[in-house]
Order: sequence, then structure tokens, then C-alpha cells
Amino acid sequence: MLESAGRCVTVAILMLALGPACAGDLQLKVTGPDGKPVAEVVATATARQAVAAPVSAAAKSRERTTAVMDQQNKTFVPQVLVIGRGTWVEFPNNDSVSHQVYSFSPPKRFQLPLYKGEVHSPLQFDRPGLVVLGCNIHDAMVGYIYVADTPYFGKTDGAGMLRLKDLPRGRYLVSIWSPRIADDGAVLSQEVELDAPGPATVEFKLRQSLRSAPQPRPHPNNWDAY
Amino acid sequence: MRTRPLALASMLAFGPLAAAAGDRLELTGLLDVRAVYTDADTSFLNGGSGRLRFDKNHDGLRLGRALLAAKFRVSDIWTVNVVGGSYGDYDKNPLDVTEAWLEARPYPTGSVRYRVRLGAFQLPASLENRSTGWTTPYSITPSAINTWLGEEIRIVGSEFEAKWLGATHNYDGDIAFTAGAYGWNDPAGALIADRGWALTDRQSTLWGGLARPRIEFIREVDHKPGYYAGLTWRHHDRLEIRALRYDNRADPGATSTDNIAWRTQFTSLGLRWEPDDHWTVIGQSLQGWTYVGGDANSEDQYAESFRSWFVLGSYGWNSDRITLRYDHFSTRQHSGFYGAPTNDDGHALVFAYLHDFDDHWQAVGEWQQVRSGFPPRVDAGEPETINESQIQLSIRYRFSLQR
Repeated sequence: MLESAGRCVTVAILMLALGPACAGDLQLKVTGPDGKPVAEVVATATARQAVAAPVSAAAKSRERTTAVMDQQNKTFVPQVLVIGRGTWVEFPNNDSVSHQVYSFSPPKRFQLPLYKGEVHSPLQFDRPGLVVLGCNIHDAMVGYIYVADTPYFGKTDGAGMLRLKDLPRGRYLVSIWSPRIADDGAVLSQEVELDAPGPATVEFKLRQSLRSAPQPRPHPNNWDAY
Repeated sequence: MRTRPLALASMLAFGPLAAAAGDRLELTGLLDVRAVYTDADTSFLNGGSGRLRFDKNHDGLRLGRALLAAKFRVSDIWTVNVVGGSYGDYDKNPLDVTEAWLEARPYPTGSVRYRVRLGAFQLPASLENRSTGWTTPYSITPSAINTWLGEEIRIVGSEFEAKWLGATHNYDGDIAFTAGAYGWNDPAGALIADRGWALTDRQSTLWGGLARPRIEFIREVDHKPGYYAGLTWRHHDRLEIRALRYDNRADPGATSTDNIAWRTQFTSLGLRWEPDDHWTVIGQSLQGWTYVGGDANSEDQYAESFRSWFVLGSYGWNSDRITLRYDHFSTRQHSGFYGAPTNDDGHALVFAYLHDFDDHWQAVGEWQQVRSGFPPRVDAGEPETINESQIQLSIRYRFSLQR
């Protein structure tokens, strides 16, 4: 196995164009204890040993990538944003009111006033980990930026599925995270071998019921102060 | 990132304009004009013993409230807030201020957020009065409890809040401890003792007063500060539970040239439950005591206990909302008798329908019925128990500006 992976690496280094031939997809599914799919779950696949980054990923790492964490109706949109290390994030504030976004999470501590009619520079997230966002004006607002330490990441769709594409063959640690997941430990990560041409599949079956999703309630009218 | 050079260019070109375009000042306004029809006895606001804002001699077309609320951002952390306007009645200042405070909200650097207010503001006890200018979004007239808080209780002092932010621990909710120290609230208690409970949307103003003869509430008599302390638990933006203790710590024997001090203390418990996007259920109870005159061991000291509770159910859909509320209230005089006991017994029913035409225009129809029994009315040659009803049709124009 290791030999084949090693050969693949060698081939990939020597002939970058052939990289995809040694790459495969990872098909992932997350279900709750009731068997229903769980959407908006962050998943990352981290190689357990050195693998060659595919051409596309190598090219990507040289580009400046920018993601968007918007503010609408006093919520963060999306509520969970997953990005690669080094990605820049814009906070455009498309709300009718001002926000003062902050984080005191170790990977990125910042305070960013988002007043209407003012231009705000994007911020770079260059350390991996979870960044919890709050608003100094609206305490009920919460958002998450998950900075992945691997080029292979994504979020599950409405069917609880995610397909990570063009991973170089090898052994991966696949981990999931969501603010709604109450499980911890072994349930949240699995090792998977990517060696066949077809997609490798991995399924996460959560044991504990999900925490309820944040339910920001529309206020009686937009004139409300409290 | 394509927008960046563009933004930079526009900043260079319109730099001064862009700086001024920030929303440093937020102005929120309301004009509320009403057609009122009522059979109510002369309101306490007009020198009678009726419990409603308007009465059969003071109805027809009336100004509900003209209100302007300003929030000015001095810095990222400090804001100045002023709420003022007019109720269009006899009060000595045609325009006056109900609240004015300075607020500091430093950015949280851990799981606890701190907040400080300095100035004059409403006691944070209500889960009903949550709109601009401490108004209720569920009806025109707030409950008996929140009517009374808006009349006699005004904090002139400082407030400190420490809130544990659940989001930092993967919990959608928070728990806040709030405490205040204040002065200038020594006459609080005079109105509820003299009149009993009422149901109006007429708050007292900082330089005005209520009733006839006018009682002014922002007065310091004994130079002893009062306090309040409360806990609020918010769970999932669906449930909010609040408990608060207020004690103005006044010396009931203290007098000044034009005022006497009323020792007033009470406990408020409230709950707001919003099970889905349509329903709101609010319940609140308040009970306390007020004392005035002499020492506590004397039978001459006037002592009265008061209590009230209400349950409100409201259903909102699209641009409409209907609300039904039941209030129960009572007071009991325990000592210091010079005439008929000031024992108030009553209940009230309010039904309101609100319709938003757009972000600015709103129409509200409200029907209320109050039954109150109050022995001192007999001394004035009136029946002890009266039933009053009132219909208000309100047209409201609201606006919000950012400058």
C-alpha cells in the first residue's frame, strides 16, 4: 500500500499532468441518530503521510482566495464558513443596521466595526482552528469560521453529503465539525484509505441528538429596540 | 477583491463624504394620533379616580405620543441615548425627556460581556415594553405592572451588567446579571398608594409629573441611594426569564421642602416565551411594599402592600398581530389609617389588533375594560367599584434615519 502511494507521489512529482490519474474522490455522509441526513457539517480530510498536492490545489495555494461572511437580518450568513488556511474573508454587512464583529478565539482575535456606508478591509485567517464570531451590538448573533489546515474541506449539503474531489491517493484522517453536533471523540473522525480509482466512501453516524439550530426569531416589527 | 481598487478610488474622490456617510447618529421617531371613545370616569391624570388614560370628558381625537429617540455613537464603545417627545396633555413641559443615558459596551474579550449605563433610564424589568421609547409592540396600553413602572420608577444613576455569552460555549443563549445604584427616586410609591393600579401608556417625564395634584418622581429627599439587582436567562431566542429586586432604600421618615420619601421595594418575575415565529406568551408578576411616615414600629406609619400579575398571548402573521391580555391587581393598606383603606382590587382585559401597512405606517385598534374597587372613592361621593371601558383607534407613523 505504502509502496503504491509512494510510487504515486513520485509519479505525481515527475509528471504533474498525470497527478489526477493518481487521485480520487472522497464521498462523505453524515446522519443523525434518527438516520436523517445532517446538513452544514464541516468536513476536512488530512493526509496521514506526505502526499503530492494535485495540480489544482498547488495552483490554488498561490492565488489569493477570498471568502465572504455577510451580515443579514442580524445573523451571520453563512452561519458556518469553512476556509483554507491563509484565506481572506470579507465582511460586507448587507444589513440595515451597524455591527461590531469580534472574535477572541486564539486562531484570530479581532474587532471589526461594520458601520453603514464605510469600507471595511478583508481579514486574513492564517492560523488553523475554529474562530467564533460575535457582534458587540447584537449579543444573540453568532457565526463560525473554520480554518482548515488542509486543502480538502467542505460542508455537507441538504442530503448530508459532501464529495471532496481529486485527493491524491493515500491514507486520510476525515474529521467533521458543526456547532450542532453534541457527540465528541471517536465519533467525529475516521481514517480512510483512498487507493481505488472509484470514490472512497465514509459515513458518520452521530449517536447523540443534534443541538437545535439557532432560531433567530423575527422581531414583532423592525422598529424594535430590545 | 475587484471591488477594492474601486473602493479605494471612491474613498479618495469622496473621502469627506464617505466619512460622513457612517451611521454615527440614529434617529427613530413616532407620531401616534388616536380617535378615542370611552365611558371611563375622570382619569387620575385629570384629577379623578379613573384608571385609564382618557375619560368621557377627555376623548375624541388625541395625540397618543410624539416621540424622538436619538442614539449617537461617540466611539466604538460609547453611545449617547436620548428619548423625548410629547404626550399632548396638561403636563408642565409640552416637550420633555423620558430617558437620557450614556452607555459603554466594550468588546468582549472572554465569555463575559460587560456593559455600563449612566444617566436616566427605565428599570430593565419588563419583557413586554421592548420597542423604541419603552413602548410595547403588542398593544397600545401596557400591563398594569409596566404602566406603573413607567410612571413611578425611573433610574437616575448607574447600571452594570455582566452577561455570560453562551455562544462562546456552543450554547444559543445567555445569562445576565444586572445591578443598579441610583438616587432621585424617593417619591416612588406615592401614586400607587394614593390611586391604586392603572392601565395607561403615559410614562412620566424627567422634568414633568403625573396626576393632579401633580406628583413628581425624580426627587432626592433623604440622600440615601437605592439599588436593584436582577438575573435574565435567554434560551435560544425563544425563552427569556427575568427576576429583579428593586429597593429605593428611602427613609420613610425623611422629608424635604416639597416632598416626602416613600420606602418602596418590590420583586418582579417575568417570562417571555416565543415557541414559534407567530406566538408570543408573556407573563409577569410584581409584588412589593411601600411605607411612609414615622418609624416602622409605629401604627401611624402608612404601610401598603401591592401586587399584580398579567398573562399576554399574542399572534403575529404577515403584517398583522392580535393580542389578548388579562391583568389582575390589588393593594392592601396595613397601617396608618386616616380614612377609608386604600385597598385596590381589580382586573383588566385588553384586546388589540395591529396592522403594518409598510415600514412607516401602522394602524392599531385597542379595546380595554377595567374593573376596580377602591374604598377611598366613597369618601369622594363616588361608587367604590367602577367598570371602565375604552376604545382607541391609532394611526402611527414611524421612521428611522441614519446619519
